[in-house]
Amino acid sequence: MLHLRTLISVLVFSLGSSALAAAPPGQMAPNFSLPTTDGKTTRLADFKGKWVVLEWVNPGCPYVQKHYVSKNMQALQKEGDGKGVVWLAVNSTNPSHQDYLKPAAMGNWMKAQGGTPRATLMDEGGDTGRAYSARTTPQMLLINPDGKVVYNGAIDDKRSYNPEDVKTAKNHLRVALDESLAGKSVSTASTAPYGCSVKY
Amino acid sequence: MISRVFVLAVATLALLGAGWVAAAPVQADNAEAELIARDLALAPGEAAIIGLRIKHDPHWHTYWLNPGDSGMPTTIQWKLPAGIKAGQIQWPVPKRIPVPPMMNHGFEGEIVLPVEIRVPKDWPAGQEAKLAARADWLICKDVCIPGGADLTLSLPVVAASPAPNLQWKALFEAAFAGMPGGKVEKASASTAGGVITLKLEGVKPLPGREVFALSTIEGLVESAAPQTVKEDGGATVITLAVTSNLSASEPRISGVVIGVAERALSFEAPMSGKIVAGKGMDEPPAKGAKPAGAAGGEELSLALAIVFALFGGLILNLMPCVFPILSLKVLGFARGGGTVAMRANGLSFAAGVVLSFIALAAVLLGLRAAGEAVGWGFQLQSPLVVTFLALLFFALGLNLSGVFEFSSLLPQSLASASFEHPAVDSFFSGVLAAVVASPCTAPFMGAALGYAVTQNPWTALAVFGALGCGMAAPYILLAWFPGWLKRLPKPGPWLAKFKQLLAFPMYATVVWLAWVLSLQIGPNAIVWLGAAMVLIALGTWLLGQTTTARWRFGAALIIALGLYAAWPTGETVAAGNSTSKADGWVPFAAADIAALNAAGTPVFVDFTAAWCVTCQVNKKVVLETKAVRAAFAAKSVKLMRADWTRRDPVITAALAEFGRNGVPVYVLYAPGKPPVLLPEILSERIVTDALKSL
Repeated sequence: MLHLRTLISVLVFSLGSSALAAAPPGQMAPNFSLPTTDGKTTRLADFKGKWVVLEWVNPGCPYVQKHYVSKNMQALQKEGDGKGVVWLAVNSTNPSHQDYLKPAAMGNWMKAQGGTPRATLMDEGGDTGRAYSARTTPQMLLINPDGKVVYNGAIDDKRSYNPEDVKTAKNHLRVALDESLAGKSVSTASTAPYGCSVKY
Repeated sequence: MISRVFVLAVATLALLGAGWVAAAPVQADNAEAELIARDLALAPGEAAIIGLRIKHDPHWHTYWLNPGDSGMPTTIQWKLPAGIKAGQIQWPVPKRIPVPPMMNHGFEGEIVLPVEIRVPKDWPAGQEAKLAARADWLICKDVCIPGGADLTLSLPVVAASPAPNLQWKALFEAAFAGMPGGKVEKASASTAGGVITLKLEGVKPLPGREVFALSTIEGLVESAAPQTVKEDGGATVITLAVTSNLSASEPRISGVVIGVAERALSFEAPMSGKIVAGKGMDEPPAKGAKPAGAAGGEELSLALAIVFALFGGLILNLMPCVFPILSLKVLGFARGGGTVAMRANGLSFAAGVVLSFIALAAVLLGLRAAGEAVGWGFQLQSPLVVTFLALLFFALGLNLSGVFEFSSLLPQSLASASFEHPAVDSFFSGVLAAVVASPCTAPFMGAALGYAVTQNPWTALAVFGALGCGMAAPYILLAWFPGWLKRLPKPGPWLAKFKQLLAFPMYATVVWLAWVLSLQIGPNAIVWLGAAMVLIALGTWLLGQTTTARWRFGAALIIALGLYAAWPTGETVAAGNSTSKADGWVPFAAADIAALNAAGTPVFVDFTAAWCVTCQVNKKVVLETKAVRAAFAAKSVKLMRADWTRRDPVITAALAEFGRNGVPVYVLYAPGKPPVLLPEILSERIVTDALKSL
């Protein structure tokens, strides 16, 4: 009966890892409905007509720490807020992973960092992360008021975990935001994100 | 004189140990790191190999030049004495490390990343060189931890060629053996629709080896996406999915390819076409020329493959392939018995079928893993197995005819086991049924098989197990609901006659197997097979007549002599035997198809084998009828026959292109159109309709 057990486990596995879509620039951003760290529900569709930034976050990742320790991420969040941009941080860490934080702990971490996203979202099943092909933390997306992805990729061009590098890096997301809000098309719409793998 | 003494002294000191070559491993998080040198000293004006040795804790990894979906390549920043120059890291080919749904490229265990350094000619002899470097890496298991170390290495500089440091010899050798052994001479790439088609000229996929290309450019290829590999004339064509996070815009691709030469090869290719982002992490690349009507092997999901396998196994029972074992199947049920006995028999038969499928699959996968280009039905490609089966069926026939009882043939204990436990008989009937009847593919089954052999062994075995379950299902049902048995007359003298009647299909099976054997190893084999059958008939007849030990020994000797007579010798018939030479058909030649198509001539290929009864039925009942021949002639179709009776890696590879691993397969190549697969069971109508589309 060995084969039967294998068969069943393999079947269950294959159902578990369903096929993924992605969100390359130019495509519509897949909608999602996720709980926030303070127990509310946030839908992407709620923000139609606004610019939306998605930030994949995992406090346990040294690359995420790089951008929070250097206050780089917080500065971007404030800048965006000042321009009416909706900033959503998404944590797709699987609850079985050691990096996982419960919603309250995640919310507290964000507060302690002085982060000001509109909401921090818990994507415990990883479905939203996979729908966006989120590979790393951090990974940044910019979605235009029509719901189209205009930037998907790395936060900047210094692919390191050294907080010092933030000063000399070219911040891809800031460029994309500035160009977009100035009514221009985004010059670099896609880059390879860098960081830790998203802990699906 | 002085310099010789000096060199000698240096060499002696060096031999005293690496202690003089001053360096110490640095313990970092989850890894130990150290600068090491391949040789015991440096020489002025010469290149030397220094390496960053990283010994990872178990299951931790650091990253390759292109880390894949996440991670960071290891870097070395040198702080070298004036005049000494260091090159780039010479990267060994990395391991692919799956982080579902993503893929990383990196290294585990103890590795060395070699770097070439050069000491200037005018370096004062005798002055030691102090090398220092800052190494940085990201080390990950489930979590990622930045790692780094400040490393130093002091080496003597000597005028003579330094001796290798035996301590690190194996490590450096492993690193260099893992590097590309050369470059693909000519490579080109084109891209469209999020897929890159990479053409590597002058190299072919090695049989049984996984072929894979890794891009050294980050943000170009979707690391986790499956790749399709095709042989095209003298080239290997690999399709790669473009990543959805495309960041490379340069019209070129470079990387390493494995599986086309003993060692990896590097490649570099200009790329034509407009590169656009792919669909994302789990999307397989679109197929180049996907055969229409093919239930494309590679695209099946496992769940679908298992459903196909169940259906395929079920339908297999209706295929001509099972003619040879009809007797076996009928016999088990005719034996009757109570409900419990029936169910036990049914289950035993099913167990025999399913376990044989799995065992055959395990052997098949093992052979493929060992580099043999074999496919489903491989057992009947072996003259030895065919000979053995022919003799076994002959003996079974004799048994049914009443020449002898098996109880007189087997050792007493085993015979009584078989007698008291008909389930044992049923089990072995199931084994025989699977071995003899399974080689042909049925509808649905072809696609499932083609999928299975490209997957990991467990997945493959699951699919094969499902095939067995499908084939066994009807017997379980018949055994479980024995209501139909009431319609049979009660066991009586008729059963004895019926049993004798069932011997004749057995003999027919022997004729078929003899024919297969004659095509495999020539007509002489039949003489020996015939002689063996005469001896076996004599031996078993003797067994049926006598009970004394001496006579039984004699009988056994005669049977053994018969087996010896039939033992096939190594000779095989040259390719292009009678099946492929039949009027109007030419042997399969993949290279000619494109040329014929280019000249406007359609080509029809019959993938067949003598041991595939379904193939033979299709041939007689459809392909060689007047109507079909006329239809072929009317469209000037070139007819090719790919005969898989014997092992043939070229045909195995051609079948794999259609996602298949068994016969029959019928393919119509129309000029300017993708090839069309016809079903496993042909009719005149199916063929003529397909030809109408030309």
